[in-house]
Amino acid sequence: MRLNKITEALPFLAPVQILILSVIVIPSLYVVWLSLNASSFGQSATFVGLDNYIRVLTDPAFLLALGNTVLIVIFAVHLELALGLGMALLFASGLPFRRVLLVAVLAPYAVSEVIAVAMWRFLFDPDVGPVTAMLTWLGLPMLDWSFEPSHALIMIGLLTIWLHLPFTFIILYAARLAIPKDLYEAARIDGATAFDAFRRVTIPLLGPAIVVALLFRYIFAFRIFSEVWLMTQGGPARSTEVVAVYLYQEAFSFNAFGTAAATAWIMVLASLLLATGYVFLLRKQVAGNVH
Amino acid sequence: MSDKVFTNITRRGFLGTSLGGAAMLAAGPSFAVGKTLNVLSHKVHQTVLGSGSGDGDLLKDWRTGNDAEIVWTTFDSNPLQDRLFREASLNTTDFNVGYIVDNRPTKQIAAMFEPLDSYLEKDAIEDFGDIAPGLVQGMTVDGKLIGIPVRHATQGLFYNEALLEEQGISAPPTTLEELVEQAQKLTFTSKAGTPVAGMVLASDLAVFPVMFARAFGGDFINAKFELLPNPEAMEKGLTVLRKMFESGALPRSYATTKNDDQVTWLQQGRAAFTVLPFARNAQLNNKEQSKFPGKIKAIEFPISSDLKGKVPMSSIVEAWGMVIPANSKDKELSWKFIKEVSSKRVTLGMARNGNGPVRVSTYADQSFVNNPVAAVEAEVLKNARGAFPPFPEAARAQSIFLEEVQLAVLGRKEIKEAVASIATRVKPLLQA
Repeated sequence: MRLNKITEALPFLAPVQILILSVIVIPSLYVVWLSLNASSFGQSATFVGLDNYIRVLTDPAFLLALGNTVLIVIFAVHLELALGLGMALLFASGLPFRRVLLVAVLAPYAVSEVIAVAMWRFLFDPDVGPVTAMLTWLGLPMLDWSFEPSHALIMIGLLTIWLHLPFTFIILYAARLAIPKDLYEAARIDGATAFDAFRRVTIPLLGPAIVVALLFRYIFAFRIFSEVWLMTQGGPARSTEVVAVYLYQEAFSFNAFGTAAATAWIMVLASLLLATGYVFLLRKQVAGNVH
Repeated sequence: MSDKVFTNITRRGFLGTSLGGAAMLAAGPSFAVGKTLNVLSHKVHQTVLGSGSGDGDLLKDWRTGNDAEIVWTTFDSNPLQDRLFREASLNTTDFNVGYIVDNRPTKQIAAMFEPLDSYLEKDAIEDFGDIAPGLVQGMTVDGKLIGIPVRHATQGLFYNEALLEEQGISAPPTTLEELVEQAQKLTFTSKAGTPVAGMVLASDLAVFPVMFARAFGGDFINAKFELLPNPEAMEKGLTVLRKMFESGALPRSYATTKNDDQVTWLQQGRAAFTVLPFARNAQLNNKEQSKFPGKIKAIEFPISSDLKGKVPMSSIVEAWGMVIPANSKDKELSWKFIKEVSSKRVTLGMARNGNGPVRVSTYADQSFVNNPVAAVEAEVLKNARGAFPPFPEAARAQSIFLEEVQLAVLGRKEIKEAVASIATRVKPLLQA
């Protein structure tokens, strides 16, 4: 009986299953197979076992790229969350010209990454950039991003925050607007200060939205590519390279498909590892809501 | 009379329509008018042919004569090579002709393209011996000709004559030492208020450090696959670049400067010298783009004073060739296209449009002699050679070389140490 029902339902489910199989499962398995082989253009694949993984994990360039990626993810995602939360609370508290300001805050999300990077490169040009000139005029140190790797990483971090802040902001702002006003009123009657209300009402109720925003941004930030590639191309001397740029170089500059595939899988595992804590937190919250 | 509704879909009708539709789709190509030739190239390869520009279209007659349309798919150099090799690795490709750069065809890559010797024997290209033998050699792998040379980009030293005059310099440099001295003098704020850097170079191409090493008689990897045949010369070349960076003659943004920046910096008067292919002359002096039209001139990149008059300067040349993917269709049409593009008439026409001509006779043609850089380009081309020869790990080797060069120029590594590191890190790649 049950088998019959499954057979009847199969034609209705098949299109989705076929789509998932063809665009996710099969390509993923192909990448696994590729990662266990050495191959390039005009050269048939040769099975090398886990050699590609070992080569990547022992390559100092990869380890540096991984370190840079983790640094950018931790710095950018958390700073972005703090800014997004602050702005969401500010907007929810009532601001004059709220609609205009909302458009201004969301605008970076409508800008193409390529244009954003070109714009930032011009603004922060070490020789003729208007921002550099202003900083110098104010007697402040300039952001020497084309020479100092640490400055370049800060610049990339700031750019990625500017580009993706609207995403975090809009999730938190929507969640904040969904909190009933009565709760704040009850807290006020109970003698809670503004900080108490923030700690005891806002944060617990924004929790699921914060976790979702963090989880998405962790995954997006871990695969950061265009900001780095267009800004510094991973330079000077590969010092600002991130994992996605390393993968691109292996696949499309060096045509080493085996190591590129191994890098892709290491990337997936590393980003899952980074996000594990938040995934568990999300599961706990979902389970809590069910009960 | 029947009251049957004719819009009802019957099983027979559905199957019949499906089969008929499939048959029509399968027969689709027979409805097409004429033939289509798909070409995979850089935008510049299409532009120099004047494609689609009315009377300037160099292939107008060929199109009519062969009843064929040419569909161009263009990419930047590296993505172009990647796409070409990807297409050639498939079971079949729709691309009939591809453009390949001469430092890419290794034995494995060459195997993906049609050997052209038999085509040449059967249906010869007009005066094939007129095409520079060195360029033909670059497209020959294991004795098989896999590409027909179509363009060369020979590097020259460009300078802004107006800025030189402003600083009281009456003539461009004749030695590398003079170049460095002038570049340092030309690091100033111009009368127009523009901060000028003596020289602008991209840091992501091996061309520039190799040129500086060659000025001292050195090289990165020579045609015999010798790695750093003269390490002292490479050290001298990098020392010059480092001193220029430290003195500001190379801009602070050296590490993030790209090839396109070199063009705009020179056009805007932000730099006095740069190294670019001679073919860029028209663009650099374009009235609509440049603040100094007619004032940007080109000469041969100067050799060091120690070697001047003893050995010729070997500048860098990059050549492009046309190939036919072995898995493509209608190879006869592809060959006809290659033959036409390689003809004397089209080569001359492309040269007038800014292409580096591959035929020796083009330089002697009266209508090309008036080109302001033609004579110097022809002279430089005699001793020019590629930045490094093709080998499977060439791209990785170039990346390592550039990484060490950047560390040395920016002062993060001792020059001797950087050169030693190039030798240690690149050697296994050559052996592989």
